[in-house]
Amino acid sequence: MVRFAVRRLTTVLLTLWAASILVFTVLNILPGTPAQVILGTQATPASVRALTIKLGLNEPLVLQYLHWMQGLLTLHLGNSYISGQPIAPELGAALEVTAPLVVLGLLVGLLIAVPAGLVSAVHHRKASGAALAAATQVGIAIPNFVLGILLIIVVAVYLKWLPASGFTPWSSSVGGALQSLILPSVSLGLVEGAILARYVRTAVLGVLRADYLRTARAKGMRTGQALVRHGIRNAAVPVVTVLGLELSGLIIGAVVIEAVFTLPGVGSLLLSSVANRDLILVQDIVMLVATVVVLTNLLVDILYRVIDPRIGLRS
Amino acid sequence: MRERPTLKRWLTVLAAMAAGSVLLAACSSAPGNTTTQSLKTLTVGSSNVFPPTLNPTANASQAIDEVIDYNVLQHLVELAPDGKIVPVLATSWTVSSANKVFTFTIRKGVRFSNGNPLTPKDVVYSLKRVSAPGSTYPYAKIFDVASVTTLGSDQVRVTLADPSWEWLYNLAAYSNGVILDPSAISSMATDPIGTGPFKVTGEVTNYSVSLARNNLYWGYKPHVAGVTFRYYTNPNALNSALESGQINMIDNLSTPSDLSLFKSNPKYRVIAGLTNGKVQLTLNNAYGPLRNRLVRQAILYATNRQAIIKAASGGYGIPAGSDTVPADPYYLNLTNVYPYNVAKAKQLMAQAGYPSGFPLTLTLPPYYYAQLAAPLIVSELGAIGIRVTVSTIDFPLWISQVFEAGDFETTIIDHAEGRDIGNYGTPGYYWHYAGTAQVAKELAAADAAPTRAQWIAGYRQVLRQITAAAVNDWLYIIPNLTIAQKDVVGLSSTAYTEAFNLTYVGIGGSIPASAKALGYSS
Repeated sequence: MVRFAVRRLTTVLLTLWAASILVFTVLNILPGTPAQVILGTQATPASVRALTIKLGLNEPLVLQYLHWMQGLLTLHLGNSYISGQPIAPELGAALEVTAPLVVLGLLVGLLIAVPAGLVSAVHHRKASGAALAAATQVGIAIPNFVLGILLIIVVAVYLKWLPASGFTPWSSSVGGALQSLILPSVSLGLVEGAILARYVRTAVLGVLRADYLRTARAKGMRTGQALVRHGIRNAAVPVVTVLGLELSGLIIGAVVIEAVFTLPGVGSLLLSSVANRDLILVQDIVMLVATVVVLTNLLVDILYRVIDPRIGLRS
Repeated sequence: MRERPTLKRWLTVLAAMAAGSVLLAACSSAPGNTTTQSLKTLTVGSSNVFPPTLNPTANASQAIDEVIDYNVLQHLVELAPDGKIVPVLATSWTVSSANKVFTFTIRKGVRFSNGNPLTPKDVVYSLKRVSAPGSTYPYAKIFDVASVTTLGSDQVRVTLADPSWEWLYNLAAYSNGVILDPSAISSMATDPIGTGPFKVTGEVTNYSVSLARNNLYWGYKPHVAGVTFRYYTNPNALNSALESGQINMIDNLSTPSDLSLFKSNPKYRVIAGLTNGKVQLTLNNAYGPLRNRLVRQAILYATNRQAIIKAASGGYGIPAGSDTVPADPYYLNLTNVYPYNVAKAKQLMAQAGYPSGFPLTLTLPPYYYAQLAAPLIVSELGAIGIRVTVSTIDFPLWISQVFEAGDFETTIIDHAEGRDIGNYGTPGYYWHYAGTAQVAKELAAADAAPTRAQWIAGYRQVLRQITAAAVNDWLYIIPNLTIAQKDVVGLSSTAYTEAFNLTYVGIGGSIPASAKALGYSS
């Protein structure tokens, strides 16, 4: 177990290090100097030069990289080039929107996928199962931002049940914050749920046809009982794999959904900092997302072994 | 059959959740206006990007000036909607006959929103800060001050390096003129302290900035409890927010095609305000065929300005004939120099040695007006044999590649600054005009002219000159399209500055007659 943990952790650290080099290189090749963007078209060349020096952008790239890494390792994310403000609180505030959005999106996805997948598998010979399977196909075909715009028009503009866009901070009203996340998390989760439902259906169908399930039924268990007792663990392994991938998809999807609903989350922060050439902020956000994705994969790996002890720690 | 109860249970759970969310929606307060002591808060939906900082002396972003300039930070003199220079923190001023020495009498009894009194020393500090070493003022270039000193107990004297007929206008119109509290400089990025009718109360990154009425304000107090600016990167979301009543108004509709949503609806008013923004097809005068004046003139003849206004600006906006707008004291209507005339354009192309045209690249910034005008430019220039290829780049790249390096053939851009004819005399400016040195000399001579009439005559001469040389293809003067709920009063009828003066704004009610006379809507 210890050897497994050490090996996995080394891989995680190496992946993140490689990601940091890639991110830094790509962003610094990007044309457009931050100082000129900040000061605009009427600035004097002298003030652009002075600002470049003030931001430390005249230093060699290797030195700039080392400074950045030093900051990351000591958890000092630095100051934004554009606002001059510390990045950590800004990123923290954005996470207060994006983290609940992704979690709620995942929840919506699971609430759709598990029942829909189970029912369409168990009823796969009946009209109800086929209808559910077809519905998930349609769900997959709808891009989440289209669904978002549709929901805004129907639920917010016509029915006026929920706000069309925007976010009420948690500190001013928890109910208000949840309320402003309902439509975004439904648009985000519905599509992911539809995709996941297909995997649940396939996994459960595979289990239903397995020998051990037939044996269990032959012993006198009902299909449902047999599924719960023997089937679910086996069906869960492929589903958990996809779930890990889906989580990355949800984070990416959140960037788009935040733009549709004008939520002040990590996605909006990423878009605006790319547009402003606030390179250090972009680097920090990309590293954050990379860390979340890598850690999710690690979690999935560990979950495999919890779900199915036959998967050895060595493999 | 046995599974059915499970499904039913799931449906029950889902139904309960749906009911819960509707309940939640009902319990929370309705979006929109909140009432504070009978005064309402105005919510402005902005199509601008979120202000990267609230310090207008550190960043050129127009979004900062919109919120902070005039509303929070004030100038000695400011620009009224009708274009006149009006006294604000100065009660009066005198100008030496040579236009070099300006003496301002500072208003008494003014306090900053933190309670500190405004003194002539604060004014000297603020104006000296513009050109101090390491200054990051975005408009430092047009602030050529030699010295600033106090004079007596209530006056400030500014001496310019060179005489200028434009300096007072620049002081009023650009955020260089903001008067700061020297003890509150360190908080400017998040809480700029000023003397204006509003003060900053909070911001949420990429989302909103909130202002509240400044109870220490020395002048007319706004008829709102505060103003919240909400930022929308997505035009659909912005329009939906106004339609669903989440916001009271849109500061500037960036997609004129959406005007039809509001134009004929009695619930809204549309204010098409004049601006200083000249949308132009910038021609690189140093690039291949564009070096030839005849080719540039052919391009100007081939451009149908009315058609472009219709496509890119919803029919609002007026054609431009040179680098000037009607609000300029030296305005000249030169739209008749190059009327739309394809035959004449073709003839000039042949005369220049390009009877069968040439290929040309049009490099666009990502703005709607440029994107909407481009297809027309492509087809109009196509009609005289110029085969245009369009490429769009993001704004930071546009700044560094097109503006800084001058590495482009043509581009479409809004030159938003007022009275910016000086660009034609700036060495190395991105359109590489061959007559730059000559223009610089003529502008300097006009600035030193002893009378206003001679100054205006000098500037008009430069306008005629750059128009005759067809330096750029000036397309139209872009309007500012404000959409507001019918009951929003006190909005500026023009947008000559980047500031968005909300002193007289109110929801319902009326505005003072003096404000109406200056051009605020009632």
